[in-house]
Amino acid sequence: MEKAERQKTKLITNQPYDESLEVNDSEEVASVYTPTPRETVSRKSRRQLRTMANNSSDEYEEDSKPKKKETQPAGQQGTSENEEEEDDDDDDDDDDDSDETESDEDEGEPGSALEGAYDPADYDHLPVTAEIKELFQYITRYTPQTIELDHKLKPFIPDFIPAVGDIDAFLKVPRPDGKPDNLGLLVLDEPCTKQSDPTVLSLWLSENSKQHNVSEVKVKSLENPEKNPKVIENWIESISELHRSKPPATVHYTRPMPDIDTLMQEWPPEFEELLGKVSLPTADINCDLGEYIDIICGILDIPVYKSRIHSLHVLFTLYSEFKNSQHFKALAEGQKSDTLSVPQSGTGDPETLTFD
Amino acid sequence: MILSRVKPAVGGEAPASEKKKKNKGKKTSRVEDYLIQRDYLGAITLLEFQRSAGEREEDADLWLGYCAFHLGDYRRAMEEYRASTQRSGCPADVWVYLACTHFFLGLYKEAEEAALKAPKSQLQNRLLFHLAHKFNDEKKLMGFHQNLEDVTEDQLSLASIHYMRSHYQEAIDIYKRILLQNRDFLALNVYSIPDSTIALNLKACNHFRLYNGKAAEAELKNLIDISSSSFEFAKELIRHNLVVFRGGEGALQVLPPLIDVISEARLNLVIYYLRQDDVQEAYNLIKDLEPTTPQEYILKGVVNAALGQEVGSRDHLKIAQQFFQLVGGSASECDTIPGRQCMASCFFLLRQFEDVLIYLNSVKSYFYNDDTFNFNYAQAKAAVGNYREAEEVFLLIQSEKIKNDYVYLSWLARCYIMNKKARLAWELYLKMETSAESFSLLQLIANDCYKMGQFYYSAKAFDILERLDQNPEYWEGKRGACVGIFQLILAGREPRETLREVLPLLRNTGNPQVEYIIRALKKWAKDNRVSL
Repeated sequence: MEKAERQKTKLITNQPYDESLEVNDSEEVASVYTPTPRETVSRKSRRQLRTMANNSSDEYEEDSKPKKKETQPAGQQGTSENEEEEDDDDDDDDDDDSDETESDEDEGEPGSALEGAYDPADYDHLPVTAEIKELFQYITRYTPQTIELDHKLKPFIPDFIPAVGDIDAFLKVPRPDGKPDNLGLLVLDEPCTKQSDPTVLSLWLSENSKQHNVSEVKVKSLENPEKNPKVIENWIESISELHRSKPPATVHYTRPMPDIDTLMQEWPPEFEELLGKVSLPTADINCDLGEYIDIICGILDIPVYKSRIHSLHVLFTLYSEFKNSQHFKALAEGQKSDTLSVPQSGTGDPETLTFD
Repeated sequence: MILSRVKPAVGGEAPASEKKKKNKGKKTSRVEDYLIQRDYLGAITLLEFQRSAGEREEDADLWLGYCAFHLGDYRRAMEEYRASTQRSGCPADVWVYLACTHFFLGLYKEAEEAALKAPKSQLQNRLLFHLAHKFNDEKKLMGFHQNLEDVTEDQLSLASIHYMRSHYQEAIDIYKRILLQNRDFLALNVYSIPDSTIALNLKACNHFRLYNGKAAEAELKNLIDISSSSFEFAKELIRHNLVVFRGGEGALQVLPPLIDVISEARLNLVIYYLRQDDVQEAYNLIKDLEPTTPQEYILKGVVNAALGQEVGSRDHLKIAQQFFQLVGGSASECDTIPGRQCMASCFFLLRQFEDVLIYLNSVKSYFYNDDTFNFNYAQAKAAVGNYREAEEVFLLIQSEKIKNDYVYLSWLARCYIMNKKARLAWELYLKMETSAESFSLLQLIANDCYKMGQFYYSAKAFDILERLDQNPEYWEGKRGACVGIFQLILAGREPRETLREVLPLLRNTGNPQVEYIIRALKKWAKDNRVSL
């Protein structure tokens, strides 16, 4: 009763966090809206507030809080709110300075309003002797102290913060030729995820340009190879790709071919003699390329089957054997006679064999 | 439509076969092929190959610098440009390129010196503008700001400054305007690009916020898998974020060298130290940081709150409270969870627990099993007299560290007593080592139990207090409590046998009143046939 009265007679002034509610006349406003949680903040009404806090369910507080936020207009309100907070803050400092009195009161309040606190009146009815009644006086003669307990705010530790990287500030070097690169505009200014492997690329470059040993090939090493199988696999894959692109070291002929040593044997002396007088047919001969290949292969004892490719391979292998042979080189240089270098003079001139 | 136009420049899938074909093309155009793919390592390799083969491309050094720069290898770019500046006949603009590389290496002084050797240009002005920001030189900043022109690059550069200064709305306005003018500027719309490092990392960050570290790490793994081994770009960013996604694993190895390279690294290291309870280290790292973002304000608040309570400094607490208030009251943060936590913390430091509860209640569903949250929440509930719920929340706490904290023990004891469970409070006392704190807890039990009419445990507590300290007040308390027990027995609220325990408690005191009380009790016992 007493509390209810006080609530009635108390002059309600606007508090900083009071929410304004538009009340539609025709509509009944649920009574639950009347006391906003903010109203309770006012220090003078702490007592009411406590009972309210005790009675009100969390749902209620939870509901009303965000509502208050929504009704707040964004900008201006924010600043005034801060000012108010500032005031609050100063008040509180004062409070803290006179800590004892203020908090004693504070703690005393819930104590007196405390549910189930000791009340000597509860025992007045006991049928006891005067002596015992007198003894009971000892109970109220001691007033229990109010023990002030410390609070400790355990600050919430924020989550770790992932980094999304910097915003493109357009502090970037332009192309030396002055053409627009549109980096950061049409595409993000970031390298693509699949960059060429410099080692592999250098190998490709020197392979393609036939300029071997041009640049020192960078060799990279890998730490913890057991943890990076993917890197190793990629390396093997790219190197085998490189090798696949080179001409194979050996060719497997589908049909039997004489071996090169046999082909390098000397021709019969009569034929050698004839070659001294007649030269072998050159590419100028009046026939097409296929026939010409057949003629040359025939002269050199190289069989020609359906496809001439294998035969040609044998032909060029033979040529390269002669060309690289130290023995024939010495012979050719030493005695410029054609007696012993017959095949060379026959097929020897590279020009005649380049089918450009 | 727009997507298909951009894709060829983005896609990393097609090149393998194409590349070989192109290799046969004209040599001069080949570097261009790599550039279109943004395969800068490829371009660099080719340029170096040409250089060593004696083919002198025009401006080869500048091309190498350009490639290294966009690859993110700023050191290499710096070396190329520096070499260029030392050659005679070098274009003066190269100085500002060199300055750009300095900038990205964090060599701001050198960047400024180099930039000033270059002739005036938009790029130079943008760079000086950003340098002024780094130097915190507002006056220069305004000057260079005024020199910015209404061209896309300058405006985007300005937007990035807005962003860094947390002027998000201004930044967004610029981006929106430029996107409206240039609908094909897809780069401004990062998320739409499928195999971009920046986009994938961003996606991982969002997964971290939306789900958890595991989901985010999976996303990042994706990126690591598709990128080639020689890919260095953003490696630091990825390393940094892996620490984040793994809840701080490897923080001490990875983060220190990244401080001031990645702006989040310092904050994360602070968070790591806070989690390790190393408040002093956390403070050392953050004390000189001038906060600009909400995260920085929050962390400064948190560190000051922790340190202030640890060393009992009102100054730190005051700073903490102000930072919390600033964030919690700001338009952008007032409805976020951290914003609400800030407001609650602010009011907690001000000891306005009704307000603390308003804010904590609004976010409590996110923190059901969070010991830190529950510790603060329960204290606030107890402080406003809601001991029943306070007790429940205190008992949710698992952390042994908190459970051994005297603040926890004393408040839980009070809750027990207020909820008429004095025995449980007494057991809390029994489990404690003898110390100043256990003495304080005895005083709490003695007096709070007295208040609540739980005289049995009040008497026991006063008895021990009296033995430890011959303060007559303890005798008065014990006397009252013992009589209180008697009264409870008479009222039938306490078993009669308890009287047997009262007599020795009284006899422990050498006071003439003892005999008088004992006589009265014995008489009653005799009359009521209670054996003592």
